Parts: sequence; C-alpha cells; structure tokens
Amino acid sequence: MQDDRLRILIVGAGEVGFHIARRLAVENKDVVVIDRSEAALRRVLDHIDVQTVEGSGASPRILIDAGIKKADIFLAVTDSDEVNLIACFLASSLAPDILKLARIRNEEYHDFQDTLSQSIHRLGAVINPDAEVVNSILRLMSAPGAIEINEFAEGKVQLIGVRPPDDNPAAGRRLMDIRGMAPDLPFIVGALVRQDRLIIPGGEDTVEPGDAVYFACGCEDRKAVLELFGIKPEPLREILIIGGGNIGQRLARQLEEGPYHVRLIDKSEERCNRLSESLNKTIVLHGDGADQQLLQEENVHGMDLVAAVTGNEESNILSCLLAKRLGAKRAVTRINKFEYMPLVQAIGIDNLVCPRLSAINSILRYIRRGNVVSAQSIKGEDAEAIEAIVDSSSELAGQRIMDVKLPRGILILSIIRNGSVVLPTGDTVIDAQDRLLFLSTRGNISKVEKKLSVNLDFF
Amino acid sequence: MRWRYTLHVIGALIFCIGLTMVAPLGFSLYYGDASRMALAQSMLLTMAAGAFLYAVFYKSKNGRALNHREGMAIVALGWAAAGLFGGLPFLLGGTFETPTDCFFESFSGFTTTGASILADIEGQPKGLLFWRSLTHWLGGMGIIVLSIAILPFLGVGGMQLYRAEAPGPAPDKLKPRIQDTAAVLWKVYLLFTALETVLLMFGGMDLFDALCHTFGTMATGGFSTRNTSVAAYHSAYIDWVITAFMLIAGINFSLHYLILKGQPLKAFKNPEMRFFLGLFAVFTLVLTISLYRENYETVGETVRYTAFQVASILTTTGYATADYELWTPLAVSILLVCMFIGGCAGSTGGGMKCMRIQLLLKHAHQELFRIIHPRSVSRTKFGGANVAPDILSSIQAFFMLWLGLLVVCAFVVAASGVDVVSAFAASLACIGNIGPGIGSVGPADNYAHIPHLGKIALMFCMVLGRLEIYTVVILFVPEFWRN
Repeated sequence: MQDDRLRILIVGAGEVGFHIARRLAVENKDVVVIDRSEAALRRVLDHIDVQTVEGSGASPRILIDAGIKKADIFLAVTDSDEVNLIACFLASSLAPDILKLARIRNEEYHDFQDTLSQSIHRLGAVINPDAEVVNSILRLMSAPGAIEINEFAEGKVQLIGVRPPDDNPAAGRRLMDIRGMAPDLPFIVGALVRQDRLIIPGGEDTVEPGDAVYFACGCEDRKAVLELFGIKPEPLREILIIGGGNIGQRLARQLEEGPYHVRLIDKSEERCNRLSESLNKTIVLHGDGADQQLLQEENVHGMDLVAAVTGNEESNILSCLLAKRLGAKRAVTRINKFEYMPLVQAIGIDNLVCPRLSAINSILRYIRRGNVVSAQSIKGEDAEAIEAIVDSSSELAGQRIMDVKLPRGILILSIIRNGSVVLPTGDTVIDAQDRLLFLSTRGNISKVEKKLSVNLDFF
Repeated sequence: MRWRYTLHVIGALIFCIGLTMVAPLGFSLYYGDASRMALAQSMLLTMAAGAFLYAVFYKSKNGRALNHREGMAIVALGWAAAGLFGGLPFLLGGTFETPTDCFFESFSGFTTTGASILADIEGQPKGLLFWRSLTHWLGGMGIIVLSIAILPFLGVGGMQLYRAEAPGPAPDKLKPRIQDTAAVLWKVYLLFTALETVLLMFGGMDLFDALCHTFGTMATGGFSTRNTSVAAYHSAYIDWVITAFMLIAGINFSLHYLILKGQPLKAFKNPEMRFFLGLFAVFTLVLTISLYRENYETVGETVRYTAFQVASILTTTGYATADYELWTPLAVSILLVCMFIGGCAGSTGGGMKCMRIQLLLKHAHQELFRIIHPRSVSRTKFGGANVAPDILSSIQAFFMLWLGLLVVCAFVVAASGVDVVSAFAASLACIGNIGPGIGSVGPADNYAHIPHLGKIALMFCMVLGRLEIYTVVILFVPEFWRN
C-alpha cells in the first residue's frame, strides 16, 4: 500500500479551496480537504475525488488526523486570515518541512510577510487576492479590447485574449491567411473561444465573427497585433470606480500615480470620509453605483473605464450594464461566483475579475515547481498556459517543431532562449535549456507531461 | 439521467463478472466434472453481453462525472444484472428445473444471503459449487467496490457508486482517492481470505472446501459444499476458526485497516465494534446457560455450538453446526433478535447494522431525556462525534422502510401458500441476508418448497437488504425518473 503521489492538505472548502482541490485532484494528486462545515464538505465529496476531514484547520488534532505528517504541501485558504495564519503556525510546528501557503486578505499582514516567514518555517507565500485583482485590472487597462492578459518570461511574452469587433479585418479568414496579412509580425494564435467552448486551433481553422482570440506575442508587438484584429488603441483617461472597499481603495491609490482622472463612488458615507482622507487626487463620491441620476451627473458617458468592485456581485453587474448603456466605453466587473463567468461576458460586460480565481492562480503558480517556471489558467479553468524549461534528457531537445507530433489540444506558443523571445515556426529547433511556453486544454496536461517529458511535478 | 452512460458502465460491470467465471471453470476442468460446458458458455455469454453494452453505449462526450441518481441506477441495475448473469451456469447446467430457482440461487449468492434451494449439495459438479461460493465472495465486499478498484475510468463517479452500494450511516474514505480506498478494502479482504483458507486447510479441508467455506465466511454468506453445512466436519477446530472469521467479517473493514496499519488502540475505541462484540459475548453467555445440560453435556461443547450459532446469525452468515430449532424457546428468540441486528456498518454482514440500532437507541434515550428536561439542548453523539440530525432522520426512515418492506414481503410469501411463521422468517432471513430462518426454512431445511411468487419476492428482498433499501426503493419512486 505504497503512496508515491503528492499529498496536499487544504484547509477551507469554500470557493477557493473547492476549486484548488478540484484542479489538483484532476491532476492525480492525493488531496485532503479540512473544513468545519459538513455541508461544504459534502459538496466537495459529491464533485471531487478527495478525502475530507470535518473540523477546524486551526486544531492540531484535526491536522494530525488529516495526515499532515505525510503531506507535502499545506494550503490554508479559509475566508478568515486568522484561521489561515494559525493553521500555518501549527503546520509549521507539526511538520516543519512541508511547503505552506496562506491566503491573507488583510494588507497589514501582507506588509509583515518577512517577519512571518521567520516564525513559520517554509512559508512559501502569503496570497492576497485583493492585490491580485488590482493587478489584473491594471494589466487589463494596459491593453484595450483585451479580455484577459497573462504575462510570461518576466513580462517579455504576453498571452492576450481579445474579443475583436465583428467587422474586423481578420474575421472569416483562416489562421494561415491572417498570418499572411502581416508576415513580419511575430505572433501566434493559441486559442479561440467560440460559444463558450475553447478551441486550440490549427492553421486551417477560421476566425468567426464573435470569437474571442487568444494570441501570444512579445510585449512590444502587442499594438500591431491588436490593430490586425481591428482593435485601435485609445488612451484611457477618465476612470470611474464603484465600490471603495479594499480593492477599490487599492486600485484608486495605484491609479493616482498615473495620468488618470479617477472618480470613486461608495454607498457608505463613513467609508467615503475615510477614503477622502487617504486618497489625494481621486474624487470621492457618496452614492449608489446603480443610481442612474448620479452616473449621468458624473458624466458616465465620457468614461473610458468603469470598474465595479463592490463585494456584491449582482450590484456590480447591474452597475456595469447601466454604465455601458449610458455610454461608458469599457466596463470591468468583479464577481465571486464562478458560475457567473460565462454569463457576464454574454450580456456585454467587457471584462471580469474574480478575487478567488486570482487566489487560485497565484497559489498554483507557487506550488508548481520542477521544470515548470509558471502556469496560468486561461479562460476560467478550461486551459492552462505553462512555461517550462526543456531538460536535456527530454525527447524534445534538438528536434524541429514540425517533427514533434503534438496531440490536438496542445500548442507551443513561444520559445524563450537566453532571455529573448523566439516565436516558433516549423523549422525552429528546440534546444535544451530553452524555456517553452505551451498552451494545453485541461484534459491534455498529462499528455503534455508524457509527450514533452517535461516533469510537471509540483515542488 | 444519461441512459447511455449508465448502460455503458453496467456493461463494464457485466464483463468483469463474466471474467470471474474463469475460476470455477478452472476447478471444473481440474475435477473433470459435468459443468464445464455450462460454465464456459455462461462465461462467453456474459462477457459478450457486457462488451456489447459497453461498446454500443460508449461514454458520453461531455465528460461530466456520474451524478447521484446515475450512481444509484448503475448500482441497483448492476446488482440485478449480476444476479441474472450469475444464474446462467445453473440454468445452462440444468441444476434446477425452473429458471426462477436458478436466479434465486444466484441472487442468494451475490447478496451473501446463503438461502439455498439445493437439497443434495454434494451431488453437484464442483465447478458449479465453486461458482456458487464465489458469488458470495464477490458480493461480500461488493461488486461495485471491486469495479471501482480495478476500473480507472469511473473516476469521481466512483464515490457516487461507492455510497450507493455501501450506504451505511458514515461511509469512510480511507484514502484521498476512491480507487485507492476500494483497493485497500479489497486487499484487507484478500488478506483475511488467504489467512482463513490456510487455517481451514490445517484443519483437514482440501483446498476446494477451504476456499468455498472461506468465501462463505468472509462474505458472511453461508453456502457450504456439504449437505449438513459446517457440521459435516465434526471438528471443534474448524468450528472455532469459522466462528472467529465470521466475527472478523462482521466488523467494519476500516477498523481492520487501522489495526493492520498499527493503530489498534484507535480501532478498539470504536463504539460500534464494542457493541457488536458485547452483544456476541452476552448472547453466547445467555445461550450457554440456557442450553447447558439441556442439549449438551459439557460446558466446552455448549460454548462451541452456541458461539458458532450466535456468530453465524449475528453476522448474518447462516452456517450451521446445530439445528437451533431443537433448542429452548429462549435460545431461539435470542437468535431471532440477532437476525434483526446484523453486523457493523462497513462490514460484509447484513441486517440493520449495529450502528443504526445504537443510534436509534441513543435517539430514543434523548427523547426520554427531553421529557424530563424540556428545555435541555443536546446533540446525539457517537464515539465522541456529533451526529447530524439529518442522519438520524434518515436512519428512522430506514428503520421504517426496512420493517415495512419486511411485512409486505412476508405477506406476499404467505399469500403464495407458505405458513405465516415460515413466511415471516423467510422474509427476515432474506432481507437481512442471513439464509436460514425458522419454521420450514430452518437450518435443517431449504427454500425449495416456496412457490414461484414467494421466491421472486424473496429475491427482491435480498437485493433490498444488501443495498440497504434506499438504492433499490428509489428506482420505484416516480420522481427519480423525472429529469
């Protein structure tokens, strides 16, 4: 009865814990989920092949029962910062050698991460989902028309998802023809999303109107590629933030450093007072983000971007719909439930951010190790972009790309060689020590492992 | 409800059952008996039918895992299919005159009931006898648990199947993955099976007899290869070995795993196991006092026979070394109580299960307590852990359904022309997966005389009892079929 699979303990069976557990279980890892709520655990058991332990993650007895001594990775992702921290402290004294990650939302803890790392042995990281959300909003602002932006190779390569206008020059053309429209422009189309299904295309596939297109390119070529798909860059100036909680405040503060005119609306007068104390250039408005009168008074049709980031996702969606109808150019809404994801884009809201998804992504990024440099989910959870180093023992080393038989559903997006980006053609030869960025649908990740003999192991 | 997917999985299940027929075929060829053609034909037919279902209803495109309802349908229909295909060797071998009898024997085997129609067991070909015992062994730990352990494609759906087949109050997951959990259970099962086989061979049985009796013991089934069951060996050693292994099989296999893993203290703290072993000790003691000098001469002899009979009925095995109908009324009534209780949850035993009885008693005690202290707030606890109110209400419903279905079945059996006491005992022995009852289905008799209608009702009862009511009854609720 030997166990050579990786064993991962997750404290918290909420949205974050649930989805991380599902991702890891699909990848054939042994997962144990601890939660106090029997109902939450029952939901986990109904959908995921993992073991569950009922009890508090901040109880040493429960942690021992769950087998922390045999675990390899410990994740504390409950909604409570305190429980997560205590769980990590306990884990550190019960099993000092395992990697620990905590989800912490309070910024203050975040600033003392170094102190924490000293007292918690092998604390891998403190994940702050709010900060991740602000970062993803800022990233989205850097590319007009983008629905998703992921960075690889220290930002040298970007994987950008866009939804081109229906009359864009590329619509209705085959990918190989689009290639021909700009032969000198290095980019590669990695995925199409058609009617909410993700397709990893070949050269014969066409881009239909209404498709979302995911492409990889170097960051300096981004503008040109966007123009190819009919998206013209427009400078962002006027920004309206709805909701002055953790995320709204953080976002406003970061935007103040740039050339933006920021307005922030919040319902609570008390919070508005506090915000006006801590923010300098931002115009703080007291009112309801779904109040048409207020939005019109504040010139919403002149806004380049409206970001609704209150804790109430339904009201975020409504505010964004209203703002778009009143003429705002772009809207970003914050949601919490994954179920809303396909819905939000279907009703015409350009972008969404999700603190929980951000938390999941950053946790996965931290625990992927070995040859894998980083890994990020694309379009919710359907696919993953993985950046990995080619080992000299890999069957891939020394091969031309056209000679590598990859199953459909896996695509090599780019090669990073000695710090510079090479966009691959059929003739490109893969060298050992190259960093390879490839895109794979979730079901194919195990095939990637085999095919590329890149060790996708964690840690 | 995805019908094609459901049938696809059931196809795989049937194919596996066909594969297991290779074992009796081997014995049949070795002994050169008359059943080899019947077994070979059944094996081919079963495997062909399974492969056909598996191939025609290929896996659905959207890779959603099995849901709760599909899991229940697969398990209930899978067991029905196992019973039907398991009857083929008897049908093709001409063991019985009517198909009903063939399927009765097969259902009785898979559900580990052990109620038999054969009068002259020793006259049967060895291959068929081995198949009869093998159905016990497969059904004991569960054909679904076996398929979860060996069929990787079930994945997440495995948990739904696992819970539908072993729906005890608290199904434990011993390992993070359901496939590993099922494999661990089967390994423990295999280990005890090997151990008992060896111990029985030391007692003078040949490999064939030892295997068949081990299958009957570990699965708490009760099919023997002798007309007079275990009594035929006249060996105190064999009696005690089988008594011990019946008790082992009646205990939750998760606890065996804990003990084998080196945590015996944790296992011995389990309240259900203590209750089970306590009942065994008390009942044996009372029976010994009641029967000493009455039926048996020495204390040693009395204990040997009473312990065997109590273990046999309490764990719902159904082996016999004595005709307990000749015992005192006190003794018979204690055995009747045992028939209601059964083994522990998570064991291979049947009946209502000790844990349910314990929880019902605790709950009843709590209600009485509340009458004395009307404002008290208390939760039912079991082994230090709180029991959720919905588990309690589910157990109450289970209790009601169990008794209700028992009465309905007894009514049907009696209406088909059996005397009332025997009809009731036969129904109880079948829904509890025990085998021998009292009256005309006592340990010295068999079920051959029961009319067709009665046999069909009893077969239904066996599956009801083995799958613990809900999984089967749910198929008859119209709401289940609505999408």
